[in-house]
Amino acid sequence: MSAGLDAAPRTALRARAVPPPRAGRVKRRVRPPRGLKTFEFAMMAPALTVLFVLSWVPFVVLVAMSFAKVRTLGGVSLTFTGADNWSAVLGDGSIWASWARSLVYFVAIVGLEMALGLAVALVLHQLVRARSVVLSVVLLPMFLAPVLVGLLGRFMLDSTIGLYAKILQAVGLGDDLLASPSTALPTIVSIDVWQWTPLVALILLAGLTAVPPSTLEAATVDGAGYFRTLVAIILPQMKPIILVALLVRSMDAIRYFDIVVATTNGGPADATKIIPIKLYEFAFRFNNQLGKAAVLGLTMLVFSIVMARIFLRFFGDRPSVPAGDGGDRG
Amino acid sequence: MEPRTDAFSRRQLLAGGASLAALIALQACSTGDETETPKGSAGGGDPWKQFSGTAINFISENTSPSAAIAANLAPFEQLTGIKVKVQQMELDKVVEKCKLDFSSGTAQNHVIYADPYQILAPMADGLADLRPLIDSGNYPAVEKGLGDFIDTQLQATGSFIDDKKIFALPYDAPTMILHYRKDLFAKYGPRAKADLGFDPTPSDSMTWQQYLAVAKWFNENARGDVAYGIGAQAKQHDALQCDFSNVLWSFGGDYFEKGQSLGLRGSEEPGAVTVGSAAGVAAATFYRDLLKVAHPSSTTWDWTGLADAFVAGEIAMCPNWHEFAAGEEKAFPGNVGYALLPKGPARRAHIFGGTGIGINANAKGDELGAAWLFVNWATSPQTQLMSLGSKVGGGTPTRTSVYEMPEVKAEEGKSPSKFPNIRTAETVLKAWQPENIGLRPKVSQWVELDTIIFTELSKMLTRGADPAATMAAMQQQMQKAMQ
Amino acid sequence: MTTAGTPATRSTSRLLVPVLAVVIAVWAALPLLWMLLTAFKPETAIRTSHPTVSFAPTLDNFRNLFLGGNRVGAYLMNSLIVTGVSTVVAVTLGCLAGYGLAHWVSRYKRDVAFWVLSTRMAPIAAVLVPLFVMFRSAGLVNTIPGLVLAHLSFNLPFAIWLMSAFFARIPESVEEAALLDGCTKWRRFRTVSLPMARAGIVTTTVLCMVFSWNDYAFSSALSGPDTATLPQAAGALVTQSGIDWGLLSALAVVVAVPMLLAGLAVRRHLVSGLSLGAVTGE
Repeated sequence: MSAGLDAAPRTALRARAVPPPRAGRVKRRVRPPRGLKTFEFAMMAPALTVLFVLSWVPFVVLVAMSFAKVRTLGGVSLTFTGADNWSAVLGDGSIWASWARSLVYFVAIVGLEMALGLAVALVLHQLVRARSVVLSVVLLPMFLAPVLVGLLGRFMLDSTIGLYAKILQAVGLGDDLLASPSTALPTIVSIDVWQWTPLVALILLAGLTAVPPSTLEAATVDGAGYFRTLVAIILPQMKPIILVALLVRSMDAIRYFDIVVATTNGGPADATKIIPIKLYEFAFRFNNQLGKAAVLGLTMLVFSIVMARIFLRFFGDRPSVPAGDGGDRG
Repeated sequence: MEPRTDAFSRRQLLAGGASLAALIALQACSTGDETETPKGSAGGGDPWKQFSGTAINFISENTSPSAAIAANLAPFEQLTGIKVKVQQMELDKVVEKCKLDFSSGTAQNHVIYADPYQILAPMADGLADLRPLIDSGNYPAVEKGLGDFIDTQLQATGSFIDDKKIFALPYDAPTMILHYRKDLFAKYGPRAKADLGFDPTPSDSMTWQQYLAVAKWFNENARGDVAYGIGAQAKQHDALQCDFSNVLWSFGGDYFEKGQSLGLRGSEEPGAVTVGSAAGVAAATFYRDLLKVAHPSSTTWDWTGLADAFVAGEIAMCPNWHEFAAGEEKAFPGNVGYALLPKGPARRAHIFGGTGIGINANAKGDELGAAWLFVNWATSPQTQLMSLGSKVGGGTPTRTSVYEMPEVKAEEGKSPSKFPNIRTAETVLKAWQPENIGLRPKVSQWVELDTIIFTELSKMLTRGADPAATMAAMQQQMQKAMQ
Repeated sequence: MTTAGTPATRSTSRLLVPVLAVVIAVWAALPLLWMLLTAFKPETAIRTSHPTVSFAPTLDNFRNLFLGGNRVGAYLMNSLIVTGVSTVVAVTLGCLAGYGLAHWVSRYKRDVAFWVLSTRMAPIAAVLVPLFVMFRSAGLVNTIPGLVLAHLSFNLPFAIWLMSAFFARIPESVEEAALLDGCTKWRRFRTVSLPMARAGIVTTTVLCMVFSWNDYAFSSALSGPDTATLPQAAGALVTQSGIDWGLLSALAVVVAVPMLLAGLAVRRHLVSGLSLGAVTGE
């Protein structure tokens, strides 16, 4: 293996505090400074303070609301009702159905966006002169707010005046894609894929350009084919960046619902009613059901965390306890 | 080092919890029952000018009258010296912002577009009772008195349960009527009449069965000029419930035992859910049959989608809010006709979608007074006349006196018209008669019930669920939501 | 510049790559081009069942967007300010904290890192009520600083975490060499690590801009009449009396153009930033 691989990619999440000792180099570090009174923690302090304020209060209130009946008129007031909200939400069949739908939606958009995003990044990476121009164009969809993208999708697919609808009609696919329960979800998935594949592509392109050329050259000398090189050498090197892309998209895929609201509003026949739409209904449409919204919100948070853990396990570095860093819990 | 870390986070946790408790305690002090009637100190005796210099916010759904007012605020600012900022957005967002605003215990938005079903009924306590302001001598009187407002509208949009309180004054009045293309019926009418044995042109005597037959006839015979005979607003959305309600009521069904009487003042005890009755099932069965011949994209259309399709010439007729008349007139000048909705076995019913504007109960002092002056002005006859003729608007008057103004009367049925929405006035005034109007039950749980209704209907239309099963499922879920 | 593959794949890719690039560009841009055309169409050319490219162009849609009841000009300013400030703050704090996190030695390192990440997973509709009450009592509702802070709630964790991933990729050998040369940690960060993480900074900046520019849920809840941003204009254009697709298209153009211009203005940095990674990876 080339030297490049020794600089093993690490994410902060799985970061080893120190690299494995390398032969022929003098180590000065014996006991690196640790904890709060360090330069590193001072660097983190301002950002962590801001984040703490912004996340802690809402989180505590969320937990409190999930065990209460919440009234909002004339100021928030909570009447604690034990686990009523939890049992109501967990016992609601339509919420489980919505979770199943959300899972399909989630896997479809994250999977497609990762695959297409990698493809786009690889193509862009091969471009030399036109790369910046093509990149500028490709990035544009993600700068339209999702609510605009949803409306644009409706416009393009409108059976009366839509360009895409007319093209589809011309090739014999005349059915209105958003009208039928079987096609509505795939259509929304493809709108989301159109908007967010550029984001995945941008992240992966940044990762791709950071793969040392020496690695690639070594592979070339070995006579490995392009795809073999890709799978065996390039992708493993990009693991931390793939993780970044995966996490970003999966966090947002489960949170955002603007596109659905702007197109189908959850219909037809609930075919596109994903969990965040249910949550919004409880929080703002229905009367005095913020408690249930809080329960759904917390379950969404749990889902995101479990997803993130799974991705970290598969794409993060193996947990290891390098010598001289016994404090790492691994 | 490590113990320090723990201490750090525990202390922060405690601090966070304490500040939260303080926040909630702060919010606990609620507003008094009786609305105050503050007197302003500015203006030197002119009651319109007493709050000069005050700035207030008006939050509204993006409806035509609000667009008209937003574009033409100068007269109010000249009259009162009050600065008004109008924010317009979709109704869902208005509801969201009102809930947030009420939950803070303070008034970010002072004047509120109070949809009777989504804001007034569920959040009546968040709105100020306007009665003390109306009766107070501190302010200019409501011009021509409350009696000038069309009475059903004042009750339906302004009151909730307690008829002594008025939470909002009628601001707009969209109502569903039948819209049809006169040119198409002129061309195909005679042939259709020969085939069907009755005059197919929509009129005040048409029945739902005839409407269905005409729709089929157009599908089979008029494809050259129009893709489908009818369209519907059958997206999984509030619109589907509205479209279906017209049919339900005309078949003799209703959502609750207390029926139409719930539509005016509303109630906390609406009686048993009755939507699963035989009449309800018959209505659902008919509505499904209607959708089988309607434009296939109907299940993706809410009211705007349907109006777009009508304007694009895709359908010959449809029930829709009468306020779409202005846009239709632009597309087919003089060629759009209006009629009452078809008659069912029991009656005919035209769903009423009017809304009033009210004041945030958390508004205080000069802001409260200024908000009241604005509500008073925005619902006055002159402002309604201005809104009728506005380029961006085209609202509908909610006052009898406006319909009787000679300049308004002169425009009825005219094309081109200065006031395109007045083309529908003759039909709409008939639709507002007590025997013709259709009112949703005003209960605080309505949005949840609405969601159940349009979701089950959507399943029936797009997944082929059986009408009887659909109505049974609707009945059962509505009962659960009412508990 | 590096291209992967054997000579054989290189020759196929010479043909294949441009073709694929064109396909990708068309896929991304066609709906936008269509919107661009629509923005200049009169209403009659939009509401027709025969989509057309021949029409008499008009500026009416743009005129209506900026004049009359729509105050898109003010929305645009608010969007530019909020996006600009929140991106700069997020990236600056994110670089500091990301670097700190990447090099911090503590048994709580992973927990802190995961906590940072988890703050970005907040279920939006559920946290709006507590956030609103908090912001309102601090006088932050309907203010630009309030919106900036709200945008930090999702951009800051993102920036910290993305930058720490990029900093962690800088080979230890380079950093250690700097320390051995007698640099202080701060100088090492400023003069060695920061320039080497340029690709990461460029990427992070672009992405923070995207999220801030697009945000609808937080902005619409926490803004007021003085601070509404562009995505809210989109919502406002869906009126009860129909969607004006011409206006909406004009709005989409207004939304996309500043970002296209920004992209083109920094395109040298975008590309050099991204390809610099290749050099530093050596």
